[in-house]
Amino acid sequence: MSSSELILSVENLTVGYNEELISKINLEINTGDVIAVVGPSGIGKTTLLRTIAGLVKPISGDIFCKAPKRGGIGYIPQKLGLVRHTSVYHNVDLGARSGSRFFSEPKTWFKRRSERVTTAVERMGLSDKMNEPVRRLSGGQQRRVATARTLAQRPKLILADEFLSELDEDNISIVLDAVKEYMAASESAMIIVEHNIQRATEISTRLLQIKNGELVEYNPSEMKFDLDGGLI
Amino acid sequence: MNRALKKIIFTTVTLSVLCYIFLNDLLQGDWSVLSASWDNLETFWNESLWPPEWSMLEARKYPECGSSIGFFCSKAYIGMLETLKMAFVATIIGFTIAIFLSPFAAKNLTSAWVYIPMRIILAATRSLPSIIWAIIFVVIVGLGPLAGVLAMTFYTVGYLGKLQYEEMEGVQNSPLEAARAMGLSHPEIVANVVIPESSNNLLSQLLFMFEYNVRHGSILGLVGAGGIGFYLQFYLNFLMYKHVMAFIVVILVVVIIIDLMSMYIRSFVTEDGDVKRPSWSTIFLSPNQAKKYHHGKSEEE
Repeated sequence: MSSSELILSVENLTVGYNEELISKINLEINTGDVIAVVGPSGIGKTTLLRTIAGLVKPISGDIFCKAPKRGGIGYIPQKLGLVRHTSVYHNVDLGARSGSRFFSEPKTWFKRRSERVTTAVERMGLSDKMNEPVRRLSGGQQRRVATARTLAQRPKLILADEFLSELDEDNISIVLDAVKEYMAASESAMIIVEHNIQRATEISTRLLQIKNGELVEYNPSEMKFDLDGGLI
Repeated sequence: MNRALKKIIFTTVTLSVLCYIFLNDLLQGDWSVLSASWDNLETFWNESLWPPEWSMLEARKYPECGSSIGFFCSKAYIGMLETLKMAFVATIIGFTIAIFLSPFAAKNLTSAWVYIPMRIILAATRSLPSIIWAIIFVVIVGLGPLAGVLAMTFYTVGYLGKLQYEEMEGVQNSPLEAARAMGLSHPEIVANVVIPESSNNLLSQLLFMFEYNVRHGSILGLVGAGGIGFYLQFYLNFLMYKHVMAFIVVILVVVIIIDLMSMYIRSFVTEDGDVKRPSWSTIFLSPNQAKKYHHGKSEEE
Protein backbone atom coordinates (compact mmCIF):
# COMPACT_ATOMS: atom_id res chain seq x y z
CA MET A 1 0.00 0.00 0.00
CA SER A 2 1.37 3.40 -0.93
CA SER A 3 2.14 5.89 1.84
CA SER A 4 -0.32 8.72 2.31
CA GLU A 5 0.51 12.08 0.83
CA LEU A 6 -0.70 15.52 1.88
CA ILE A 7 -3.37 16.87 -0.48
CA LEU A 8 -4.92 19.76 1.39
CA SER A 9 -3.62 21.95 4.16
CA VAL A 10 -5.75 24.62 5.81
CA GLU A 11 -4.22 27.13 8.20
CA ASN A 12 -6.11 29.50 10.51
CA LEU A 13 -8.98 29.63 8.07
CA THR A 14 -12.05 31.72 8.79
CA VAL A 15 -15.02 31.26 6.48
CA GLY A 16 -18.29 33.09 6.06
CA TYR A 17 -19.95 35.67 3.87
CA ASN A 18 -20.58 38.92 5.68
CA GLU A 19 -20.01 37.45 9.11
CA GLU A 20 -17.75 34.69 10.36
CA LEU A 21 -19.37 31.27 10.33
CA ILE A 22 -16.43 29.04 11.26
CA SER A 23 -13.09 30.30 12.47
CA LYS A 24 -9.62 29.00 13.40
CA ILE A 25 -9.80 26.03 11.05
CA ASN A 26 -6.56 24.07 10.91
CA LEU A 27 -6.69 20.91 8.90
CA GLU A 28 -4.44 18.56 6.99
CA ILE A 29 -5.93 16.05 4.60
CA ASN A 30 -3.96 13.16 3.15
CA THR A 31 -4.69 10.70 0.39
CA GLY A 32 -7.11 8.04 1.55
CA ASP A 33 -8.82 10.34 4.06
CA VAL A 34 -12.58 10.55 4.03
CA ILE A 35 -13.54 13.47 6.17
CA ALA A 36 -17.12 14.02 7.20
CA VAL A 37 -18.23 17.45 8.36
CA VAL A 38 -21.37 17.34 10.47
CA GLY A 39 -23.48 19.88 12.27
CA PRO A 40 -26.94 21.44 12.16
CA SER A 41 -28.23 23.42 9.16
CA GLY A 42 -27.00 26.94 8.53
CA ILE A 43 -23.87 26.53 10.60
CA GLY A 44 -21.42 26.88 7.70
CA LYS A 45 -20.74 23.36 6.41
CA THR A 46 -21.52 24.19 2.80
CA THR A 47 -19.63 27.48 3.05
CA LEU A 48 -16.56 25.59 4.25
CA LEU A 49 -16.81 23.22 1.29
CA ARG A 50 -17.33 26.07 -1.18
CA THR A 51 -14.36 27.92 0.27
CA ILE A 52 -12.11 24.89 -0.15
CA ALA A 53 -13.45 24.50 -3.71
CA GLY A 54 -12.30 28.06 -4.41
CA LEU A 55 -15.82 29.39 -4.96
CA VAL A 56 -15.89 31.68 -1.93
CA LYS A 57 -13.02 33.84 -0.73
CA PRO A 58 -11.98 33.06 2.84
CA ILE A 59 -12.30 35.88 5.35
CA SER A 60 -8.79 35.06 6.55
CA GLY A 61 -6.31 32.21 6.56
CA ASP A 62 -4.72 30.05 3.89
CA ILE A 63 -5.66 27.03 1.85
CA PHE A 64 -2.89 25.01 0.17
CA CYS A 65 -4.22 22.44 -2.25
CA LYS A 66 -1.94 20.06 -4.10
CA ALA A 67 -4.66 19.02 -6.54
CA PRO A 68 -4.21 20.53 -10.02
CA LYS A 69 -6.34 23.61 -10.75
CA ARG A 70 -8.02 21.94 -13.70
CA GLY A 71 -9.75 18.71 -12.85
CA GLY A 72 -8.12 18.39 -9.44
CA ILE A 73 -11.22 19.08 -7.35
CA GLY A 74 -14.49 17.30 -7.96
CA TYR A 75 -17.41 19.15 -6.40
CA ILE A 76 -20.89 17.71 -5.95
CA PRO A 77 -23.06 20.60 -4.74
CA GLN A 78 -26.14 20.04 -2.61
CA LYS A 79 -28.30 20.87 -5.63
CA LEU A 80 -26.08 18.61 -7.76
CA GLY A 81 -25.13 21.24 -10.33
CA LEU A 82 -26.37 19.30 -13.32
CA VAL A 83 -27.14 20.85 -16.68
CA ARG A 84 -30.77 19.80 -16.69
CA HIS A 85 -31.59 20.35 -20.36
CA THR A 86 -28.80 18.12 -21.63
CA SER A 87 -28.17 14.39 -21.59
CA VAL A 88 -26.54 12.21 -18.97
CA TYR A 89 -23.60 11.83 -21.38
CA HIS A 90 -23.12 15.59 -21.67
CA ASN A 91 -23.15 16.05 -17.90
CA VAL A 92 -20.70 13.25 -17.17
CA ASP A 93 -18.53 14.44 -20.05
CA LEU A 94 -18.07 17.78 -18.26
CA GLY A 95 -16.13 15.89 -15.60
CA ALA A 96 -14.20 13.88 -18.18
CA ARG A 97 -13.39 17.05 -20.10
CA SER A 98 -11.92 18.78 -17.07
CA GLY A 99 -10.02 15.70 -15.97
CA SER A 100 -8.37 14.70 -19.24
CA ARG A 101 -5.66 16.84 -20.74
CA PHE A 102 -6.18 17.89 -24.36
CA PHE A 103 -2.59 18.92 -25.01
CA SER A 104 -1.00 15.75 -23.68
CA GLU A 105 -2.49 13.66 -26.50
CA PRO A 106 -4.83 15.75 -28.67
CA LYS A 107 -5.60 12.94 -31.09
CA THR A 108 -7.04 10.65 -28.45
CA TRP A 109 -8.75 13.33 -26.35
CA PHE A 110 -12.29 12.55 -27.51
CA LYS A 111 -11.70 8.83 -27.19
CA ARG A 112 -10.24 9.16 -23.71
CA ARG A 113 -13.14 11.31 -22.61
CA SER A 114 -15.67 8.94 -24.08
CA GLU A 115 -14.08 5.98 -22.28
CA ARG A 116 -14.17 7.83 -18.97
CA VAL A 117 -17.83 8.72 -19.46
CA THR A 118 -18.83 5.19 -20.43
CA THR A 119 -16.98 3.66 -17.48
CA ALA A 120 -18.44 6.11 -14.94
CA VAL A 121 -21.98 5.85 -16.27
CA GLU A 122 -21.81 2.04 -16.34
CA ARG A 123 -20.46 2.01 -12.79
CA MET A 124 -23.47 4.05 -11.69
CA GLY A 125 -25.85 1.68 -13.50
CA LEU A 126 -27.14 4.34 -15.85
CA SER A 127 -26.00 2.95 -19.21
CA ASP A 128 -29.56 2.77 -20.51
CA LYS A 129 -30.09 6.45 -19.65
CA MET A 130 -26.98 7.72 -21.45
CA ASN A 131 -28.87 9.92 -23.93
CA GLU A 132 -31.76 10.82 -21.68
CA PRO A 133 -32.14 14.50 -20.66
CA VAL A 134 -31.22 14.80 -16.99
CA ARG A 135 -34.47 16.59 -16.15
CA ARG A 136 -36.40 13.42 -16.95
CA LEU A 137 -34.51 11.33 -14.40
CA SER A 138 -35.61 10.70 -10.83
CA GLY A 139 -33.90 12.46 -7.93
CA GLY A 140 -31.87 9.35 -7.08
CA GLN A 141 -30.75 8.88 -10.68
CA GLN A 142 -29.72 12.54 -10.86
CA ARG A 143 -27.54 12.05 -7.78
CA ARG A 144 -25.91 9.10 -9.49
CA VAL A 145 -25.25 11.26 -12.56
CA ALA A 146 -23.57 13.89 -10.39
CA THR A 147 -21.40 11.18 -8.83
CA ALA A 148 -20.58 9.73 -12.26
CA ARG A 149 -19.49 13.20 -13.38
CA THR A 150 -17.02 13.36 -10.49
CA LEU A 151 -15.78 9.82 -11.09
CA ALA A 152 -15.20 10.59 -14.79
CA GLN A 153 -13.19 13.61 -13.72
CA ARG A 154 -10.89 11.45 -11.54
CA PRO A 155 -10.06 14.26 -9.11
CA LYS A 156 -7.50 14.24 -6.31
CA LEU A 157 -9.99 15.76 -3.90
CA ILE A 158 -13.74 15.11 -3.89
CA LEU A 159 -16.00 17.60 -2.14
CA ALA A 160 -19.52 16.27 -1.71
CA ASP A 161 -22.32 18.24 -0.12
CA GLU A 162 -24.96 15.88 1.26
CA PHE A 163 -24.59 13.71 -1.82
CA LEU A 164 -26.34 10.75 -0.20
CA SER A 165 -29.47 12.56 0.90
CA GLU A 166 -32.76 11.62 -0.78
CA LEU A 167 -31.24 8.28 -1.83
CA ASP A 168 -32.73 4.91 -0.95
CA GLU A 169 -30.53 2.16 0.49
CA ASP A 170 -29.89 0.55 -2.93
CA ASN A 171 -28.78 3.82 -4.45
CA ILE A 172 -26.63 4.64 -1.42
CA SER A 173 -24.74 1.37 -1.79
CA ILE A 174 -24.26 1.89 -5.56
CA VAL A 175 -22.86 5.38 -5.00
CA LEU A 176 -20.75 4.52 -1.96
CA ASP A 177 -19.28 1.36 -3.49
CA ALA A 178 -18.28 3.28 -6.61
CA VAL A 179 -16.68 6.10 -4.63
CA LYS A 180 -14.82 3.68 -2.32
CA GLU A 181 -13.61 1.73 -5.34
CA TYR A 182 -12.34 4.91 -6.95
CA MET A 183 -10.61 6.05 -3.79
CA ALA A 184 -8.94 2.69 -3.34
CA ALA A 185 -7.65 2.76 -6.89
CA SER A 186 -6.51 6.38 -6.90
CA GLU A 187 -4.53 8.51 -4.52
CA SER A 188 -7.31 10.83 -3.57
CA ALA A 189 -9.18 12.20 -0.57
CA MET A 190 -12.74 13.19 0.10
CA ILE A 191 -14.59 15.70 2.24
CA ILE A 192 -18.29 15.16 2.69
CA VAL A 193 -20.91 17.24 4.38
CA GLU A 194 -23.46 14.93 5.93
CA HIS A 195 -26.56 15.49 7.99
CA ASN A 196 -26.86 11.96 9.27
CA ILE A 197 -24.10 11.60 11.87
CA GLN A 198 -24.33 7.82 12.08
CA ARG A 199 -23.89 7.43 8.35
CA ALA A 200 -21.07 9.95 8.42
CA THR A 201 -19.18 7.87 10.97
CA GLU A 202 -19.71 4.72 8.93
CA ILE A 203 -18.15 6.11 5.80
CA SER A 204 -15.54 8.51 7.11
CA THR A 205 -12.06 8.04 8.51
CA ARG A 206 -12.20 11.35 10.37
CA LEU A 207 -15.22 13.25 11.58
CA LEU A 208 -15.39 16.98 12.13
CA GLN A 209 -18.24 18.59 13.98
CA ILE A 210 -18.90 22.31 13.93
CA LYS A 211 -19.46 23.51 17.48
CA ASN A 212 -19.73 27.16 18.50
CA GLY A 213 -18.18 28.30 15.23
CA GLU A 214 -15.17 26.01 15.45
CA LEU A 215 -14.29 22.59 14.06
CA VAL A 216 -13.93 19.79 16.59
CA GLU A 217 -12.41 16.50 15.43
CA TYR A 218 -13.65 13.07 16.53
CA ASN A 219 -12.46 9.58 15.86
CA PRO A 220 -15.45 7.87 14.22
CA SER A 221 -14.63 4.47 15.70
CA GLU A 222 -14.97 5.86 19.23
CA MET A 223 -18.33 7.53 18.70
CA LYS A 224 -21.54 6.39 20.35
CA PHE A 225 -25.11 7.12 19.32
CA ASP A 226 -28.49 7.24 20.92
CA LEU A 227 -31.43 5.32 19.46
CA ASP A 228 -32.25 8.19 17.03
CA GLY A 229 -28.76 8.21 15.57
CA GLY A 230 -27.78 11.33 17.51
CA LEU A 231 -24.37 11.81 19.05
CA ILE A 232 -24.04 10.93 22.76
CA MET B 1 -59.84 43.21 3.23
CA ASN B 2 -56.53 41.38 3.34
CA ARG B 3 -53.12 42.94 2.84
CA ALA B 4 -52.45 41.51 -0.63
CA LEU B 5 -55.76 42.83 -1.99
CA LYS B 6 -55.08 46.27 -0.48
CA LYS B 7 -51.69 46.30 -2.18
CA ILE B 8 -53.21 45.38 -5.57
CA ILE B 9 -55.87 48.10 -5.25
CA PHE B 10 -53.31 50.69 -4.15
CA THR B 11 -50.95 49.82 -7.06
CA THR B 12 -53.78 49.86 -9.60
CA VAL B 13 -55.14 53.21 -8.41
CA THR B 14 -51.65 54.78 -8.26
CA LEU B 15 -50.75 53.62 -11.78
CA SER B 16 -54.11 54.76 -13.18
CA VAL B 17 -53.75 58.22 -11.63
CA LEU B 18 -50.18 58.53 -12.94
CA CYS B 19 -51.29 57.51 -16.45
CA TYR B 20 -54.10 60.07 -16.34
CA ILE B 21 -51.76 62.85 -15.18
CA PHE B 22 -49.15 62.08 -17.86
CA LEU B 23 -51.71 61.76 -20.65
CA ASN B 24 -53.41 64.97 -19.59
CA ASP B 25 -50.03 66.66 -19.69
CA LEU B 26 -49.30 65.26 -23.16
CA LEU B 27 -52.70 66.46 -24.46
CA GLN B 28 -52.20 69.81 -22.70
CA GLY B 29 -55.59 69.33 -21.08
CA ASP B 30 -57.42 69.32 -24.42
CA TRP B 31 -59.41 66.06 -24.45
CA SER B 32 -61.68 67.33 -27.24
CA VAL B 33 -59.27 65.91 -29.83
CA LEU B 34 -60.65 62.48 -28.94
CA SER B 35 -64.26 63.41 -29.51
CA ALA B 36 -64.14 63.20 -33.32
CA SER B 37 -61.61 60.39 -33.44
CA TRP B 38 -64.06 57.52 -33.80
CA ASP B 39 -65.84 59.25 -36.69
CA ASN B 40 -62.48 59.93 -38.34
CA LEU B 41 -61.50 56.31 -38.04
CA GLU B 42 -64.83 55.12 -39.43
CA THR B 43 -64.55 57.44 -42.44
CA PHE B 44 -60.91 56.49 -43.07
CA TRP B 45 -61.70 52.79 -42.79
CA ASN B 46 -64.76 52.87 -45.07
CA GLU B 47 -63.45 55.28 -47.70
CA SER B 48 -59.72 54.58 -47.83
CA LEU B 49 -58.85 51.23 -46.28
CA TRP B 50 -61.55 48.64 -46.86
CA PRO B 51 -61.75 46.53 -48.97
CA PRO B 52 -58.04 46.06 -49.54
CA GLU B 53 -56.76 46.12 -53.09
CA TRP B 54 -56.51 42.35 -53.51
CA SER B 55 -54.94 42.77 -56.95
CA MET B 56 -51.67 43.17 -55.02
CA LEU B 57 -51.89 39.42 -54.48
CA GLU B 58 -52.22 38.75 -58.20
CA ALA B 59 -49.42 38.39 -60.75
CA ARG B 60 -47.70 41.60 -61.86
CA LYS B 61 -48.18 42.62 -65.45
CA TYR B 62 -44.47 43.13 -65.98
CA PRO B 63 -42.22 41.17 -66.02
CA GLU B 64 -44.24 38.27 -67.31
CA CYS B 65 -45.09 35.59 -64.74
CA GLY B 66 -43.34 32.26 -65.27
CA SER B 67 -45.36 30.42 -62.64
CA SER B 68 -48.77 28.84 -63.14
CA ILE B 69 -49.82 30.29 -59.77
CA GLY B 70 -50.15 34.04 -60.18
CA PHE B 71 -49.66 34.75 -56.47
CA PHE B 72 -45.99 33.76 -56.73
CA CYS B 73 -45.46 36.67 -59.13
CA SER B 74 -47.44 39.19 -57.07
CA LYS B 75 -45.93 42.27 -55.47
CA ALA B 76 -47.09 41.09 -52.04
CA TYR B 77 -45.38 37.71 -52.40
CA ILE B 78 -42.16 39.07 -53.90
CA GLY B 79 -41.91 41.85 -51.32
CA MET B 80 -42.77 39.60 -48.40
CA LEU B 81 -40.34 36.92 -49.53
CA GLU B 82 -37.56 39.50 -49.74
CA THR B 83 -38.44 40.79 -46.25
CA LEU B 84 -38.43 37.22 -44.90
CA LYS B 85 -35.02 36.55 -46.46
CA MET B 86 -33.65 39.81 -45.02
CA ALA B 87 -35.07 39.04 -41.57
CA PHE B 88 -33.76 35.47 -41.65
CA VAL B 89 -30.20 36.44 -42.57
CA ALA B 90 -30.12 39.35 -40.10
CA THR B 91 -31.55 37.25 -37.28
CA ILE B 92 -29.09 34.39 -37.76
CA ILE B 93 -26.02 36.63 -38.11
CA GLY B 94 -27.19 38.91 -35.28
CA PHE B 95 -27.89 35.94 -33.01
CA THR B 96 -24.48 34.42 -33.71
CA ILE B 97 -22.67 37.66 -32.93
CA ALA B 98 -24.81 38.30 -29.84
CA ILE B 99 -24.24 34.81 -28.42
CA PHE B 100 -20.48 35.43 -28.60
CA LEU B 101 -20.74 38.85 -26.95
CA SER B 102 -23.41 38.32 -24.30
CA PRO B 103 -21.36 35.99 -22.03
CA PHE B 104 -18.95 38.92 -21.65
CA ALA B 105 -21.83 41.14 -20.51
CA ALA B 106 -23.25 38.76 -17.90
CA LYS B 107 -22.46 39.73 -14.32
CA ASN B 108 -22.20 36.15 -13.09
CA LEU B 109 -19.69 35.16 -15.77
CA THR B 110 -17.17 37.99 -15.92
CA SER B 111 -15.73 40.82 -13.87
CA ALA B 112 -17.00 44.40 -13.92
CA TRP B 113 -13.98 45.37 -16.07
CA VAL B 114 -15.37 43.23 -18.85
CA TYR B 115 -19.13 43.34 -18.49
CA ILE B 116 -19.54 47.11 -18.12
CA PRO B 117 -17.76 48.00 -21.42
CA MET B 118 -19.57 45.15 -23.16
CA ARG B 119 -22.92 46.38 -21.90
CA ILE B 120 -22.10 49.87 -23.17
CA ILE B 121 -21.30 48.43 -26.63
CA LEU B 122 -24.56 46.47 -26.70
CA ALA B 123 -26.53 49.48 -25.46
CA ALA B 124 -24.95 51.62 -28.18
CA THR B 125 -26.06 49.25 -30.95
CA ARG B 126 -29.51 49.07 -29.39
CA SER B 127 -29.98 52.76 -28.78
CA LEU B 128 -30.43 53.49 -32.47
CA PRO B 129 -33.72 52.10 -33.81
CA SER B 130 -33.32 49.81 -36.81
CA ILE B 131 -34.80 52.46 -39.09
CA ILE B 132 -31.97 54.87 -38.21
CA TRP B 133 -29.44 52.09 -38.81
CA ALA B 134 -31.17 51.54 -42.17
CA ILE B 135 -30.73 55.21 -43.12
CA ILE B 136 -27.04 54.99 -42.19
CA PHE B 137 -26.51 51.82 -44.21
CA VAL B 138 -28.48 53.15 -47.19
CA VAL B 139 -25.91 55.97 -47.21
CA ILE B 140 -23.00 53.51 -46.87
CA VAL B 141 -24.01 50.63 -49.17
CA GLY B 142 -26.78 52.26 -51.19
CA LEU B 143 -30.47 51.47 -51.64
CA GLY B 144 -31.61 47.86 -51.44
CA PRO B 145 -31.96 44.84 -49.21
CA LEU B 146 -28.29 44.77 -48.08
CA ALA B 147 -28.81 48.01 -46.16
CA GLY B 148 -31.86 46.46 -44.54
CA VAL B 149 -29.98 43.29 -43.61
CA LEU B 150 -27.11 45.27 -42.05
CA ALA B 151 -29.51 47.55 -40.15
CA MET B 152 -31.46 44.63 -38.74
CA THR B 153 -28.26 42.74 -37.89
CA PHE B 154 -26.89 45.64 -35.85
CA TYR B 155 -30.15 46.12 -34.01
CA THR B 156 -30.47 42.35 -33.45
CA VAL B 157 -27.02 42.23 -31.84
CA GLY B 158 -27.91 44.98 -29.36
CA TYR B 159 -31.41 43.75 -28.63
CA LEU B 160 -30.72 40.01 -28.46
CA GLY B 161 -27.45 40.62 -26.65
CA LYS B 162 -29.33 42.28 -23.78
CA LEU B 163 -31.97 39.55 -23.62
CA GLN B 164 -29.27 36.88 -23.74
CA TYR B 165 -27.04 38.26 -21.01
CA GLU B 166 -30.04 38.76 -18.74
CA GLU B 167 -31.04 35.18 -19.42
CA MET B 168 -27.51 33.97 -18.69
CA GLU B 169 -27.51 35.86 -15.41
CA GLY B 170 -30.61 33.91 -14.45
CA VAL B 171 -28.90 30.54 -14.84
CA GLN B 172 -28.81 28.56 -11.60
CA ASN B 173 -25.64 28.96 -9.63
CA SER B 174 -25.18 25.28 -8.81
CA PRO B 175 -24.05 24.00 -12.28
CA LEU B 176 -21.80 27.02 -12.65
CA GLU B 177 -20.16 26.32 -9.31
CA ALA B 178 -19.66 22.64 -10.12
CA ALA B 179 -18.01 23.60 -13.43
CA ARG B 180 -15.83 26.27 -11.80
CA ALA B 181 -14.70 23.91 -9.06
CA MET B 182 -13.74 21.43 -11.79
CA GLY B 183 -11.52 24.10 -13.29
CA LEU B 184 -13.28 24.43 -16.65
CA SER B 185 -12.37 27.55 -18.61
CA HIS B 186 -14.75 30.46 -19.22
CA PRO B 187 -15.52 29.48 -22.84
CA GLU B 188 -16.07 25.86 -21.80
CA ILE B 189 -18.48 26.92 -19.05
CA VAL B 190 -20.39 29.17 -21.43
CA ALA B 191 -20.61 26.56 -24.20
CA ASN B 192 -21.33 23.53 -22.03
CA VAL B 193 -23.26 24.89 -19.06
CA VAL B 194 -24.66 28.37 -19.59
CA ILE B 195 -25.97 28.06 -23.16
CA PRO B 196 -27.51 24.59 -22.69
CA GLU B 197 -29.09 25.67 -19.39
CA SER B 198 -30.70 28.71 -20.97
CA SER B 199 -31.35 27.09 -24.37
CA ASN B 200 -35.12 27.15 -24.01
CA ASN B 201 -35.31 30.90 -23.56
CA LEU B 202 -32.50 31.59 -26.03
CA LEU B 203 -34.50 29.72 -28.66
CA SER B 204 -37.61 31.62 -27.68
CA GLN B 205 -35.74 34.94 -28.03
CA LEU B 206 -34.35 33.90 -31.41
CA LEU B 207 -37.82 33.15 -32.73
CA PHE B 208 -39.19 36.36 -31.25
CA MET B 209 -36.38 38.32 -32.88
CA PHE B 210 -37.13 36.74 -36.25
CA GLU B 211 -40.75 37.77 -35.94
CA TYR B 212 -39.68 41.24 -34.80
CA ASN B 213 -37.32 41.57 -37.75
CA VAL B 214 -40.05 40.52 -40.18
CA ARG B 215 -42.29 43.26 -38.80
CA HIS B 216 -39.52 45.84 -38.79
CA GLY B 217 -38.18 44.67 -42.14
CA SER B 218 -41.52 45.82 -43.50
CA ILE B 219 -40.86 49.33 -42.23
CA LEU B 220 -37.23 49.50 -43.34
CA GLY B 221 -38.37 49.60 -46.96
CA LEU B 222 -39.71 53.07 -46.20
CA VAL B 223 -36.13 54.36 -46.22
CA GLY B 224 -35.17 52.36 -49.29
CA ALA B 225 -33.83 49.27 -47.55
CA GLY B 226 -35.79 46.78 -49.66
CA GLY B 227 -38.49 44.22 -48.89
CA ILE B 228 -42.24 44.68 -48.73
CA GLY B 229 -41.65 48.10 -47.20
CA PHE B 230 -40.59 49.33 -50.62
CA TYR B 231 -44.13 48.75 -51.88
CA LEU B 232 -45.65 50.18 -48.69
CA GLN B 233 -43.67 53.37 -49.19
CA PHE B 234 -44.56 53.52 -52.88
CA TYR B 235 -48.31 53.29 -52.31
CA LEU B 236 -48.26 55.49 -49.21
CA ASN B 237 -46.63 58.24 -51.27
CA PHE B 238 -49.61 58.13 -53.62
CA LEU B 239 -52.09 57.86 -50.69
CA MET B 240 -53.29 54.52 -52.11
CA TYR B 241 -54.31 53.14 -48.72
CA LYS B 242 -56.31 50.19 -50.04
CA HIS B 243 -53.14 48.89 -51.70
CA VAL B 244 -51.27 49.49 -48.43
CA MET B 245 -54.00 47.61 -46.55
CA ALA B 246 -53.49 44.54 -48.77
CA PHE B 247 -49.80 44.47 -47.83
CA ILE B 248 -50.65 44.97 -44.14
CA VAL B 249 -52.98 41.95 -44.27
CA VAL B 250 -50.16 39.88 -45.82
CA ILE B 251 -47.75 41.00 -43.08
CA LEU B 252 -50.33 40.16 -40.42
CA VAL B 253 -50.86 36.64 -41.83
CA VAL B 254 -47.11 36.02 -42.02
CA VAL B 255 -46.56 37.24 -38.44
CA ILE B 256 -49.34 34.95 -37.18
CA ILE B 257 -47.80 31.99 -39.05
CA ILE B 258 -44.37 32.75 -37.57
CA ASP B 259 -45.93 33.00 -34.11
CA LEU B 260 -47.59 29.59 -34.53
CA MET B 261 -44.33 28.08 -35.76
CA SER B 262 -42.52 29.63 -32.81
CA MET B 263 -45.01 28.08 -30.36
CA TYR B 264 -44.64 24.74 -32.09
CA ILE B 265 -40.83 24.76 -32.05
CA ARG B 266 -40.63 25.89 -28.43
CA SER B 267 -43.06 23.22 -27.29
CA PHE B 268 -40.26 20.68 -27.85
CA VAL B 269 -37.98 22.31 -25.31
CA THR B 270 -40.33 23.56 -22.62
CA GLU B 271 -39.59 22.42 -19.09
CA ASP B 272 -42.69 20.43 -18.34
CA GLY B 273 -43.26 19.68 -21.98
CA ASP B 274 -41.32 16.93 -23.63
CA VAL B 275 -44.59 17.01 -25.50
CA LYS B 276 -44.28 16.02 -29.09
CA ARG B 277 -47.01 17.72 -31.04
CA PRO B 278 -47.75 15.53 -33.99
CA SER B 279 -50.76 17.59 -35.05
CA TRP B 280 -51.37 21.26 -35.49
CA SER B 281 -54.65 20.87 -33.67
CA THR B 282 -52.84 20.93 -30.33
CA ILE B 283 -50.70 23.97 -31.00
CA PHE B 284 -52.84 26.31 -28.93
CA LEU B 285 -52.98 23.90 -26.00
CA SER B 286 -50.64 23.98 -23.03
CA PRO B 287 -48.21 21.04 -22.75
CA ASN B 288 -50.49 19.40 -20.16
CA GLN B 289 -53.59 19.87 -22.27
CA ALA B 290 -51.73 18.57 -25.33
CA LYS B 291 -50.67 15.47 -23.39
CA LYS B 292 -54.27 14.85 -22.32
CA TYR B 293 -55.50 15.39 -25.90
CA HIS B 294 -53.08 12.84 -27.34
CA HIS B 295 -53.64 10.35 -24.52
CA GLY B 296 -57.38 10.64 -25.11
CA LYS B 297 -56.89 9.96 -28.81
CA SER B 298 -54.64 6.95 -28.29
CA GLU B 299 -57.16 5.47 -25.81
CA GLU B 300 -59.93 5.83 -28.41
CA GLU B 301 -57.78 3.95 -30.95
